[in-house]
Amino acid sequence: MLEVKNLTKSFNSPSGKVTALDNVNISIKTGEFASIIGKSGSGKSTLLSMLGALDTPTSGTIKVDDVDIAKLSASKQTAYRAKKIGFVFQQYNLIPNLTVLENVMLALEFGGMPAKKRRVRAQKLLEEVGITPDEMLRKPTRLSGGQQQRVSIARALANRPSIILADEPTGNLDSKTGKMIFDMLHDLSRSENTTILAVTHDMDIAGKTDRTFTLRDGQIIA
Amino acid sequence: MNVISRGIKNAFRSPVRSGAIILMLAISIGLILSMLVARSSVNSKITQVKANAGTNITISPAGVFGFAGGGNNLTTADVTQIYKTAHITSTTATLSDQLASTDTNLTPSLTLGNFGARQARFESSSSGVVTASGNSSSTTDSRPAPTPHTTVTGTTNPNSIATNGGTLSITSGTTINGNSSSYVALLGKDLASKNNLTVGKTFTAYGKTFTVSGIYTTGNTFQDSGIIMPLATVQTLSDQAGEVSSVIAKVDSSDNVSSTVTALKNTLGSKADIVSQAQQAADSVSSLQSISGLALASVVGAAIAGAVIILLAMIMIVRERRREIGVIKAIGGTNRKVVSQFVAEALTITVVGSIIGLALGVVVSGPMTSSLVSNSQNTTSTQASGGPSGGFGGGGGAFIRSSFSRFNSNLTQVTSSITPGVFASAVGITLLIAIIGSAVPAWFIARISPAEVLRAE
Repeated sequence: MLEVKNLTKSFNSPSGKVTALDNVNISIKTGEFASIIGKSGSGKSTLLSMLGALDTPTSGTIKVDDVDIAKLSASKQTAYRAKKIGFVFQQYNLIPNLTVLENVMLALEFGGMPAKKRRVRAQKLLEEVGITPDEMLRKPTRLSGGQQQRVSIARALANRPSIILADEPTGNLDSKTGKMIFDMLHDLSRSENTTILAVTHDMDIAGKTDRTFTLRDGQIIA
Repeated sequence: MNVISRGIKNAFRSPVRSGAIILMLAISIGLILSMLVARSSVNSKITQVKANAGTNITISPAGVFGFAGGGNNLTTADVTQIYKTAHITSTTATLSDQLASTDTNLTPSLTLGNFGARQARFESSSSGVVTASGNSSSTTDSRPAPTPHTTVTGTTNPNSIATNGGTLSITSGTTINGNSSSYVALLGKDLASKNNLTVGKTFTAYGKTFTVSGIYTTGNTFQDSGIIMPLATVQTLSDQAGEVSSVIAKVDSSDNVSSTVTALKNTLGSKADIVSQAQQAADSVSSLQSISGLALASVVGAAIAGAVIILLAMIMIVRERRREIGVIKAIGGTNRKVVSQFVAEALTITVVGSIIGLALGVVVSGPMTSSLVSNSQNTTSTQASGGPSGGFGGGGGAFIRSSFSRFNSNLTQVTSSITPGVFASAVGITLLIAIIGSAVPAWFIARISPAEVLRAE
C-alpha cells in the first residue's frame, strides 16, 4: 500500500520560488501496476524522487506499508531504498566497470544479503529475466539496450522490494523491445504481487496499466 | 566483491589516465625519498664534521711563519700551559730546523730554483756549492752562491706532518715515537731516493748517526724532501732545549674552539700567534646545513605536489562519476560504502605510485646526494686554489693545505644510505598524501544527491 497525502515540493530558484509538486494525493494498492503521465516539467521526476526517498518533500506524507518515509533519518532512508524500493531507469544506470552479475550482486550487498548467497541469487534473478550465463560475465555496455534493461529489472527485484519505481523504462528502447519490457513488469506485478509505478509519456503503455495518473504543473488532474 | 576490491578495480578502470597519475605520483614520491636520504646523510655528516673538523688550534711564535720572519720560539712552559687550558684534549709540539751540507751527509732532494734562490739571498750563509745552476747564477754573481737546505721537523706526533689531516702515510718501515729522544728518523720519499736510503740504513746529521725507521710520503714535494725526528732529539742536537716552533692543540668540540682561542690569547699574550679553523669549520658546516635545509624544503614541496596530484585526480574522478555515485546511493549504498570505495581507489593509486616511486628513489638518491654535495664542494675547491703553494714553510703552509683537503673529503664522503627510519618517514608521508588526497573528494561524494540519477543528460 502506497499512500501519498498533500505532498508539496518547492525549490528556491534565482527567479523565485518554484513549486514542482502542489498538494498531490495518490493511493496505490499492493500489487497494482500504475502509471504517471505528464509533459516534461510537470513534476513526474520530482514525484518519483520523493517516492524513492531520493529527496525529501517540503510538506506532506508518503506512507509505504504505514511508514512515513518522508520523516525517516538519512540512514533509514538509505536502508529503505536498499530494501523496499527497486529502481528501473530510462538510462539503465548500470555500473559500467562491473559485470552484469556483479551489478546485481551489488544490490544484494546493499540489501544486506550474506556474501556467500549473493552469487546464486543473482544468477537466478538474471536467468528469470532471460540473461544467459555467458552474458552475465560481460560488462553491461556489451549488451543491447533491451538486455541492459532486463539486467536493471533483475537488479531492482534483487531484494524483493514492495515498490518498483520505473522512470521511462521503455524510453530508450524500440517499440518491440519496449513492449517486451513492459510485459515483463506487468507479469511481475501479477506473479510477485509487487507494486509498480511507472513514469511514461507513451500513452499506449499507460493505457495498459491498472491505473493512470496525469500530472500537470505539479498537480494530479486525473 | 566488496568495497575494497571494487575500489582497487576502479583504480585501473582507465589504464592510461591511471598510469599518468601513478607516474606523476611516483616522481614526487621518489623525490621525497631521495631528499630524505640526502637530508639524513648530510645531517650525519654535519655531526661528524662538528666532532672532528675545525677542532685544531695552531699556536706559533709571534712573527714566525715557516722559516721566514723573526721572534722567539715557544718554551716547554708555554706548551704545558697550552695543554692545561680547558677543552684541549691533546697537543702536538713541533720544532723545525734546517740542515746545511755541513750538518749532514744527506744530499738535499729539493733544488733551489727561482723561489729558493730568492729566499737564500737574504740569508747570511756563504758556504757550500750551488746545486741549482742556470739562469739564477747569473743574477747572483755578486753574492755568495746559496745552498739548498734539508728541513728537519722534530715533532711529538709524526702524523702532524700529513697534509691530508689524517695519519701520515708510511710507504715502508714503521713510524717513530715522537716522545723519545733516540736517533731515529722518518725520511721523505724524495729525500730517501735521492740518497739511496732504505729502512734500516743510517745517515749522519748534527754529527750523530741516525737510523732510518721508515719512509713516508705526503704527496707534497716540500714535505717529501724532509726528515721527521722525535722532538726531544731535535731540541737537544740543535741547541734549542725546551723550544718549539709550533704547537697544534686539539679541542674537544668545534663549538668550544673560539672560547679556547680567547683563553689561549689571554694566557700567552703577544708572544704567540693563534690560528684556529673555527671559521672554516663553520663555513663547511653551513654549506652542509644549507643542503640539509634545501633537502627538507624539497621533501615538503614534493609531498605537497604528491598530495595535490592525488587530490586533483580524485576530484576529477569523482566529478566524472557523479551519476554512478548517485546510482550507488539510489540502490541503497551508504555514504560510508561509497567513500570507502573511493578511498580504496585513491590508496591503490598511491600504493602503486609509492612502490614505483620508492624504487625510483632508491635508484636516484645516490647520484642526487652526491650531485648536491659535489656542487657545494666545487665552491670550496675554488677557495682552496687561492691558497699558497707548498715549499714556503713547515708548519703554516701545510696546515692551511691540510685543512682545505679535509673539508673537501668531508663533503665527498657523504654517503647516501637509506636507513629504516628514512624509509619509514617516506612511507608515512606517502600515507598522509593518500589521506589528504581522499579527504576532500570524500566530502564531495557525501554531498552528491542520489536524485542525481533522475537528472536528464
